[in-house]
Amino acid sequence: MSDAIRVSGVTKRFKLPNIPKNATVKDFVIRTIRRAPGGPVVDALKSVSFSVERGAMLGVIGRNGSGKTTLMRIIAGILQPDEGKIVVDGTVAPLFALGTGFHPDLTGRESARIELLALGVSREGVTELMPRILAFSEIGEFADAPIRAYSAGMTMRLAFSVAMCVDPDVLLLDEVLAVGDESFARKCLTAIEDFRHRGKTIVLVTHDASKIEAWCDTALWLDRGDVAGYGDPRSVVAAYQALSAEEEPPEAV
Amino acid sequence: MNQYFATIYRYRWLIYELVLRNLRLRYRGSILGFTWTLANPLLFMGVYTLVFSVILKNGMEHFPLYLLAGIVPWTWFASGLAQGATSILDGRLYVGKTLFPSEVLVVVPVLTNGVNFALSLPFIALVAVALHVHIGWSLLMLPVVALIELILLQGLATLFATINVFYRDVNELLSYAITALMFLTPIFYTQSLVAIHVPQIASILALNPLAGIISGFQAILYGGTMPDLKSLGYSAVVGFVLLAVGQWVFERYRESFSEFL
Repeated sequence: MSDAIRVSGVTKRFKLPNIPKNATVKDFVIRTIRRAPGGPVVDALKSVSFSVERGAMLGVIGRNGSGKTTLMRIIAGILQPDEGKIVVDGTVAPLFALGTGFHPDLTGRESARIELLALGVSREGVTELMPRILAFSEIGEFADAPIRAYSAGMTMRLAFSVAMCVDPDVLLLDEVLAVGDESFARKCLTAIEDFRHRGKTIVLVTHDASKIEAWCDTALWLDRGDVAGYGDPRSVVAAYQALSAEEEPPEAV
Repeated sequence: MNQYFATIYRYRWLIYELVLRNLRLRYRGSILGFTWTLANPLLFMGVYTLVFSVILKNGMEHFPLYLLAGIVPWTWFASGLAQGATSILDGRLYVGKTLFPSEVLVVVPVLTNGVNFALSLPFIALVAVALHVHIGWSLLMLPVVALIELILLQGLATLFATINVFYRDVNELLSYAITALMFLTPIFYTQSLVAIHVPQIASILALNPLAGIISGFQAILYGGTMPDLKSLGYSAVVGFVLLAVGQWVFERYRESFSEFL
């Protein structure tokens, strides 16, 4: 089997935006010329390597700030790594719970159109896909209502429908399956199953370790930008949970 | 083709959709709709005619038409630059978070105001007809002058949009600069008037790349003559240089956008 995603030695650094409040024009000119804007540098990802086979599902776990979302943005091609290489074979559609990019004043139909065009779908493609997206999302008469009238679940349903109907080779899901009611969650699951049967690849980021155990072929555990575990979902999840339990007492749910 | 322009071309339908969205959103929920776009130059035409023609008695024939021919393209420039300069900051929900191409963010306000400009042109023609001013074949030059304005505006907007991400004071400076530029551009007076009364500064004022563009529109829509090709050519050269600089700066710093937004 060939790899759909190959990440080798990827490092991503962020300069924290620490612009002094009384920065002068002189400071700015010097910083710009030296090309070293101030502020501490944080390594969001430290030489991360892994690969995902075509048709496989990778689950990514880790605490907040461990680099999961940065990794997803790099796979999606939104950010470029500072070091290392990333190869994605085929088209990618990201679906992130944070920042669907929908404008509150636009209708669902307009938002879907803009999202599709931003994903690189042609105009004809948009016209063709639109009825399917609206049907799948079950937003019904809300299609022509502004997004601000939508519930969080409805917005996510629309975003999910757009990503699924684009039918990418690689689907990136970041904390998105938590919203939506049970019947839609089942529908999503069926769609994802079908998606995988057709040899497509999925990367799933979630805090819900049980989903990773149940669905994924491989798990990747990120800790402060390092790969803390990689391989069989059950053992990676067990190691992650063991460490979490050690560091903090289990929360009451 | 270079990456920046290739991306803009690739996402042309996204741009089209977003411009349409802006035009629609602006008038959604408003009763008068597009009339508001005409209200702005109309209001200024009335006030400035009162000040310059009635009170100061500048003695120019058909002064309202002269004003309109300058104010309408000026409004495109001023609004396009003001909105374009903050476009990357305003797009912080997209930049570095979605696949949304950030090149597109700057183009959209520039073109949205361009459409408003184009939609106001028939209104100028109407005023010309009402004042019995004859507009000649030089009208065919109008798209050329508009294209030069577009290039200059896009270059400046890209440049300021990029700088604004890292240094927000620039936006404050820019709003003052735009106001100052309005009076340094021959909108309320003619270039020949400057040449007669204060010849010392005429050549300095001519350095303003907008002067050739605005005078070009006035020549076409008010004088019915050909625009001065020499000053228009100067505007075009400055426009191309600023566009090249703007896209270079944008490309060089785009990777850092998400860290500073």
